[in-house]
Amino acid sequence: MEMIKTVDLHKSFGELKVLKGVNETIEKGEVVSVIGPSGGGKSTFLRCLNLLEKPEEGKIYFEGTEITGNLTKEEKHMIREGKLPKPAKVDIDIHRQKMGMVFQHFNVFPHLTVAKNITLAPMMLKGKSEAEATQMAKDLLNRVGLLDKYDEMPSNLSGGQKQRLAIIRALAMEPDVMLFDEPTSALDPEMVGEVLDVIKGLVSSGMTSVIVTHEMRFAREVSDRVLFMAEGNILEKGAPDQLFDHPTHPRLQDFLAKVL
Amino acid sequence: MDFSLFLPNMLSIWSKYWQLFLFTGLKNTLILTIISVALGTVLGTLIAMMKMSKLKAIRFIASVYIEVIRGTPILLQLYVFYFVLPNIFTFLKLSQFMWVSVSLCINSSAYVSEVIRSGIQAVDKGQTEAARSLGFSEGQTMLKIVLPQAVRNILPALGNEFIMMLKETSLASTFFLGDIMTSYLVVKGVSYLTLEPLTIVAIIYLCVTYPLSKLVEKFGKKMANPNSYRNRKLKAGGKI
Repeated sequence: MEMIKTVDLHKSFGELKVLKGVNETIEKGEVVSVIGPSGGGKSTFLRCLNLLEKPEEGKIYFEGTEITGNLTKEEKHMIREGKLPKPAKVDIDIHRQKMGMVFQHFNVFPHLTVAKNITLAPMMLKGKSEAEATQMAKDLLNRVGLLDKYDEMPSNLSGGQKQRLAIIRALAMEPDVMLFDEPTSALDPEMVGEVLDVIKGLVSSGMTSVIVTHEMRFAREVSDRVLFMAEGNILEKGAPDQLFDHPTHPRLQDFLAKVL
Repeated sequence: MDFSLFLPNMLSIWSKYWQLFLFTGLKNTLILTIISVALGTVLGTLIAMMKMSKLKAIRFIASVYIEVIRGTPILLQLYVFYFVLPNIFTFLKLSQFMWVSVSLCINSSAYVSEVIRSGIQAVDKGQTEAARSLGFSEGQTMLKIVLPQAVRNILPALGNEFIMMLKETSLASTFFLGDIMTSYLVVKGVSYLTLEPLTIVAIIYLCVTYPLSKLVEKFGKKMANPNSYRNRKLKAGGKI
């Protein structure tokens, strides 16, 4: 079953074209890593998926629903002729509840306790009772080994702990897919492992995940599929072994020669 | 000039007029300041919202308002509100004191709006992104995530605005409105002394502004520490 499908996604920042027609489908249960050089559009692609960046052109289907509200030329024409009803406005907030996102810089809420960081969204948005949300927070904290930090403020956490908190904060919304935007890039080297372990545990439990990462070994280990993005498009994709061992696109060969 | 009488004169003026200085002058100064900063904060919040509006026209109006108020002297604004506007809005039966209050309030609102706007914009954009990615609406994000953090930036600056305004109200004495500087003018008129009452007035101002600025400083430092959220709640005996 298709979880996310993008069709001809275009995004630019001013003059700079960052995405130039990306077509990709992510299946339910699939773990997809996105690798590639900086400025190649990886993060922008990921951020488009939950509309933190709004693509100017192209469509995104999330669990079958088109969420961008973008229309093709033909569709605009047909609507003008009255052959197609005007599409209903999409409430992106509802869809975002089902797409967890983890950021490079954690973005935990510094004014809330660790527990509140986790319970705020489920209580406000999903109407969970305090008892339910608290229990869930404890379970999640326990799962990532942070239960003793329950009452702490995030400023008392290390980078790795903050990122683990950010991951379970997203999980508390019980999302259908998790988007990771370079989750270990801002971490001290000795903390990378603990965060990757949490992600590993998560994907092995069957969570559909899209992971933008520079950790090649990790990408190879956990992914079902790897996408190589550069120059605003997916230049090569495939199973990790094939992509890493037998790269065909010269741009990918060049990239791998530099990073491996 | 003979300074030998300075201290005795000052003491005698103080003992004769201390009620005028404190119960009339300081009282009116404080009333003017509190009214203008309080209403200025309300109005300033509105202007800040307008300045951050998605609609260009509304942003433009807010910008013009802020630039005009901040770009012209406060004395000029007071003249307009004291001499010009009452003749135009004759149906508004406001006292002179109120006209001056309104003028100071509008002046304050322009500065406060910038304080609020920059306080909000200083909150890391990642906070908004994280909240939106969880599914919070724009309004919920502002209310639950951005504003509580912006307050940390805004409150100390608002304290400074209060201190600034306290001093600015001295301009109200131009219209003899009973603030501390007016007390000075009165005392000067009856005693023919200048330096002594001026010194008294200066001391009164300092007695208010110095502790206030120390308080703001201390508060600002505490606010800068994220743990203060927790400490404040603990002190209040609240659950975390």
